[in-house]
Parts: sequence; structure tokens; C-alpha cells
Amino acid sequence: MGATRTYAIIDPATGEVDRRIFSDQAVYDEEMEKIFARAWLMVGHESLVPQVNDFFHTYMGEDPVILTRDGQGRLHALLNMCRHRGNRVVRCDDGNATRFFCTYHGWSYANDGSLQHVPGTSEAYYDKLDRSKLGLVEARVDTYAGIVFATWAADAPSLEAYLGDARWYLDTLFNRRDCGMQALGPMKWLEPVNWKTMVDNCSDNYHVPTTHLSSARVQTRFLGRPPLSHKDQFESPHKHVFVNGHSLTFRESPDNTPRYVHGMSKETFALFQAYHDATLPEVERRLGPFRARHVQLGNHSIFPNGVLGFRLALPRGPLQTEFWHFVLVEKDAPETIKQVIRIGSQANNGVAGLFEQDDVDNWRQVTAASRSRVGRRLPQDMSMGIGHAGSHPDYPGIVSERYISENNQRHFYRRWEEFMNAESWADIPIAPIVARFEGTATIRG
Amino acid sequence: MTVTPGQALWLELTPFYIREAWLLDERKFNEWLELFTDDVLYFMPRRKNVLRRESHREVTPLGDLALIEDDRRYLEMRVARLDTGMAWGEDPPSRTRHLIGNLEAEPMDNGEVKARTAFLVYRSHLETDHQLLAGGREDVLRRVGGAWKIARRTILLDANVLLDKNLSIFL
Repeated sequence: MGATRTYAIIDPATGEVDRRIFSDQAVYDEEMEKIFARAWLMVGHESLVPQVNDFFHTYMGEDPVILTRDGQGRLHALLNMCRHRGNRVVRCDDGNATRFFCTYHGWSYANDGSLQHVPGTSEAYYDKLDRSKLGLVEARVDTYAGIVFATWAADAPSLEAYLGDARWYLDTLFNRRDCGMQALGPMKWLEPVNWKTMVDNCSDNYHVPTTHLSSARVQTRFLGRPPLSHKDQFESPHKHVFVNGHSLTFRESPDNTPRYVHGMSKETFALFQAYHDATLPEVERRLGPFRARHVQLGNHSIFPNGVLGFRLALPRGPLQTEFWHFVLVEKDAPETIKQVIRIGSQANNGVAGLFEQDDVDNWRQVTAASRSRVGRRLPQDMSMGIGHAGSHPDYPGIVSERYISENNQRHFYRRWEEFMNAESWADIPIAPIVARFEGTATIRG
Repeated sequence: MTVTPGQALWLELTPFYIREAWLLDERKFNEWLELFTDDVLYFMPRRKNVLRRESHREVTPLGDLALIEDDRRYLEMRVARLDTGMAWGEDPPSRTRHLIGNLEAEPMDNGEVKARTAFLVYRSHLETDHQLLAGGREDVLRRVGGAWKIARRTILLDANVLLDKNLSIFL
């Protein structure tokens, strides 16, 4: 390892962000090492590999990874790279297999990663090959409410510590029901954007009444959605909070109405209300009455690249990101509700989504501006709401005074600096867990 | 020379699909919407990489997450959105060229027709963005008031990871 660069890319006093981090190859290469080879990364969901010997092909950053459930039901995240020369041993998106076979020379691996068979161990290798040292490279795996995370870092803290108090909020979407959730998807597409812009956009509700006005208008006209305006957003009582590296927004909801999801319409709202009412006692038991009744998670990102709930923003060079859009539905929800959520998700988010269609050209020009010889001399302005966030008596983390703020974004880029300037995990701060996790729900679900 | 019923159907449907392509390329989307029944399902499943012996799993079924699973209302919302003047992803609009071919049509017992076509669609957007989308369409056509309408369209894109920045055009 050579000397480490020291990154000072955001000025907390002014909110000025150095644009070069969105386009420089050298910065990107270091991100792959210091963030993506180090952090806990979302890689999949237990429901994508429900049976023993199921596998789901995924990525940790740019590295292809096989998420497997072995014959004993244990999860593994295995680098999809034959230890001989490096060919992939899986080329399918998912399936069920006890063995993975390299199509180059025929080495084969069990679905726990162990090297099982090498042609010619005696005849070609003179019995000198130590197969026990040549298993598929395995990452550490842990789960939160069915979502599977993995890290390459042996010195990383536990997933529970990594999520920290963010889980207090995440539970209100991912950990409500005893039945757990089912993942559908993903749809996959490439956008010409740097991965960080999509992440920071998850806390950006400022753009919604401008970027998405056409879609909000037709939702109001066709589905009965309440009209969307800047005024509503600025006066909104919703919250914007940064917790232990993760950027969240949530709705303070003492009115006992269901969480808004895309696809909900005037015809189906009653169904969602009935489901909300019917499940409230269970949710109160699991999360305690305060979270069950008062907190509804909104757009959020889990550091580094989990976005918009359970979606992956997979870096593909500084100027490209591959998106994997999933939908999560509660397993025991009525079929109509699952259908509305599924269709609402694809029709509004995702590659053909009404809302998302209008995001990409904005984001890609943010990336492109970072390549402009003149443009890159000028910082991005992230000054909104500086000095207007702090601790809150009811809510863990750094809570902004207003829903519309760039506080989370500033903290995201400072978190980025913490990872990029750290020699090891020992240099990366982890906030202690101080929230009261009422109810029976645990990190396991 | 006599024309068989199959040939007559082919001759009838060919101009239908050519006209549809021109409506899309000339951005006459409200007229295009008139080609669909009220109960239409406009469906674009995902395509997965699976082994040949598991090819039944290659196309995701209805009920899984699709790229598009629109009823008539969502199709109307997509078109109405373009008319707001604030659908930034399509304003300025894409330039498209729909080449539709390989038509095969087969009448069903209930009077509806199964028709499948292949497409090559070129999209150019803004300065240099461009994409070639290839795939097939399986339609169920129904006669409504003397005109053919599309009651169900299943679009199979020949792609796993889509290379386009968004799917803001119609296929």
C-alpha cells in the first residue's frame, strides 16, 4: 500500500463539495478499496434463496458474488471466481445447485465454497495441490429482518453495530410483521451517473415538486393522490435524520393512517387502512406503541449503496451505475395489497417508472458537470439548512429542523471522508446504540 | 389466385402494425392509446439468465416484479404525463424508429387473435444518447366496433441488464 491520500471534499461550514469525487477514476478506484471492500453491503434477501441449495447471483461493488444457502440452510456470500485462473463458476441469475463448476478446467466447488474436485490432482498436480486453501473466497454474512448483508472486512464491527440506531427507524418498514417480507425482482439497468448522486438523492425531497411534478399531477388526477407542492414540502412535519452513517427520512404519523406507497389510489386506500388497522396490534407488540403509531420510514439510504429501500446502486466505474430495483411485500399481506405495491413500484420507480424517468438526466448532468474543465473548479452547493439540525428528545440521530434540508447529504459526504481517510475499521467511528428498541422485534426479524 | 383465411388475416393485420409504428414514431400517443381495449394488460416481464434445461424460468411470470405491468389507467397516465409539458425525461422528446416485422397471426376459438411480431426500435435522445432495443411482442387482438384492439400485449425485451438510462418510450 502506498501513502494514503487525505480527502477533504466537503466544507461543513459552507456545504461546498468537491465535484471531482463524481468523475475521477483514481478516486473511484480508492472507493472500491476503502468503501466497497470494507463496509457491510446489502447483497440480497433471504426470500431470494428460500430453499436449501438455492443461490442468487449478486454483487459487492463490482465484485460478482454468489449468495448461497447450503445443505444445512446456512447463508454464504462467495466471490464468483475460480481460484485457479479466475473464471466465474456461476453464470445464471439464480437457481438451485449443490455444486458450482468452472467451465474452463473443470474445478468444482460445493455451495459452501469448499473446493471439491480438481481434474488430475495426481496426474497433473502430483498430489501437491492443497484443496483446503483453494475454496471460493467467502465474505462475512449477516442478516437484518431478512435482508442479507456481507462484508469483506474481517475487522468490521457487527452488522447490528453498523446499522446502529438507524435500525430503530428501518424496523418501521422492514420489521413490522411476524411473517417477514418477500423480495420480488430485481429489474436491472445501467445509468450514466456516479453512484453517490443516487445515494444522496434519497434524502433529497427538495427535488420532488420540481423533478416529479408531471408524475405527481397525473397521480392526483388518475389516482386521487393529494397534490404535491413546494409549500407542502417546506411546511411538512416529516423529518430528515442522519443516524450512524445512514440517511433517513420519516413521517411523524400520529393520525393512524397507513404509510403512503406508490400505487395507492382512492379505490384502494380503504384496503390499506383496513390492513393497517388489522396489523396494528401485532406491530405494536413488535415495535412498541411509539414506533408503531408515530414513525413511518420514508426515502432513505443505507451506507454506502443501499437506496430507496431495498435497492442496490452498484458502481460500474465513476460514470456509470447499475441499478437493481426490488420490491418488498409483507408475506401475509392480502394479495390485492401485494399487487398494488408491486405495480405501483414498477410504474413509478424503476427503469420505466413515471417518477424515475425524470431523474436520470438530472443526475447524469451532475456527473457530467464534474468532468467539465471549468465546471469542476466550482464546488457543488450543499448549504441548505446548515446549523439547523441536532439531537431530538424523541428521535435518535441528528434530526433536521425541517423535512427539506441538505443535512443528511452533508453528513453522507463526511461519512464518505471517514471511510476514505481510514487505514482500517479502527479509524471509522461507530455511534453507540442509544435508542430504546421497544417490542419483541430483533435484528433477526 | 385465392387468398386463404390465414393470409387474409395477415394482410389485414400488417397495416394495423405499420400504422401503430407510425403513430409511435410521430408521437401521436393519444391516438395510439385508442388501439387498446379498456381491459388491456401491457406487460413487459424480466428476462433472466438461467440454464437451458430451466428455460421455463427465463421469463418472469405475472405476479413477479415486471419491467412494466400497466393497465389502461397507467398507460393513460404515461401519455397524460407527456402532455403536462413537465415530463423532463421526454422533453425534449426521444426520436424513435419502430421497425415491426415477422408477423404471425392465429385465430383463437373465442374470436380473438394471437399475433406475434418482432421489433427493432432505435431511440435517440438529447445530443448523443442512443439505444437499439430488440425484442418480440405477443398480442391478443379483439374486434371492438369493427376495429382491432390490443387486449393484451406481452413485450419480451432481448436484454438482461438494460443498457438504456430509462424506458420512457413505448414498445
